[in-house]
Amino acid sequence: MKKASLETIVGIFVLIGLVCLAYLSINLGKMEIFGGDHYQVYADFDSVSGLKTGAFVEVAGVQVGKVSRIILDPRNGDKARVYMQIQGGTKLQDDVIASVRTSGIIGDKFIQLKPGGSDKLIADGGRIRDTEASVNLEELISKYIHGQVK
Amino acid sequence: MKIKLLIIYGMLVCFTFAREAVANNSVTEEVKKTVDEVVRIVSDKEMKKPGAKQERRAALRNAIGSLFDYEAMTKRAMGANWKKLSTSQKSELTGLFMTLLENSYANKIESYNNEKVVYVREDLDKEYAEVKTKIITTKHDEYSVDYRLMNEKGKWRVYDVVIEGISLVSNYRSQFGQIMNDKGYDELISKLQAKNKEIKKR
Repeated sequence: MKKASLETIVGIFVLIGLVCLAYLSINLGKMEIFGGDHYQVYADFDSVSGLKTGAFVEVAGVQVGKVSRIILDPRNGDKARVYMQIQGGTKLQDDVIASVRTSGIIGDKFIQLKPGGSDKLIADGGRIRDTEASVNLEELISKYIHGQVK
Repeated sequence: MKIKLLIIYGMLVCFTFAREAVANNSVTEEVKKTVDEVVRIVSDKEMKKPGAKQERRAALRNAIGSLFDYEAMTKRAMGANWKKLSTSQKSELTGLFMTLLENSYANKIESYNNEKVVYVREDLDKEYAEVKTKIITTKHDEYSVDYRLMNEKGKWRVYDVVIEGISLVSNYRSQFGQIMNDKGYDELISKLQAKNKEIKKR
């Protein structure tokens, strides 16, 4: 009897340890199994150079979602199509503008959303129409310099 | 009899497709009309004279105003704050914004010097369209200028211009939003008025 209950207690501790390990892994791995409801939207950009999957999607500097997938636009293959998971509570208007911006000057790329004023909202699976591509700093500098030497 | 029917049917199909082919480029045609008119105005030797500035600006305003929907641009630049404005405030703001844009870009447009405008492509999405163009200077520099249009009651009008990947509406949305949140409508109006005065002096 005593051996059985000792083993049971050890077993329970091992179980608790495994659950803690799983919780830690899920949190660190940023998986959101119990994360609440999300919906998906997509947007086409001329260039998303530097943007990675998992990058933040922000409104006013607050994270409201993340980039789940980046592919080439299946229709014409020369635009980038970015799929984003947005938190359920965040409403995106029809005329929201999505821009690829850099954290700081040389940091990671993320998607910045600027809310619009339209009454129409983007539904699950909907499209953000107005976008701004990555700003290529080197190109801009070269154009500026180039332009100055007239 | 059957062959006749087949021919008529075939012609109908062809006409349908022909109409679609024309329709697909009709937005580009609208933009092209205005761009051509603007180029004509700024290239005109008579208009280039310093004394003709008023006339030139009026002609440009007419040409651009028919294609650009300034109220839509102001509305989008204001975002959620637009709904908070009264009708008179909306028209006051639209007028000031239009003056700001006209004066800001007039000098650049008037310095036109035989640049070439290339129409790269048109993307249609129901009642929205994007016309991508490139401006190529005589020194072979290329600048991308994209027009975003909306079809309202059959007329295509520009609601945003994206130059080198930077959207005009997006630029002003950030700035207007900041001013509205910090100081409010009156501050925005006085800032625009001050800026307009400053630009006019240049």
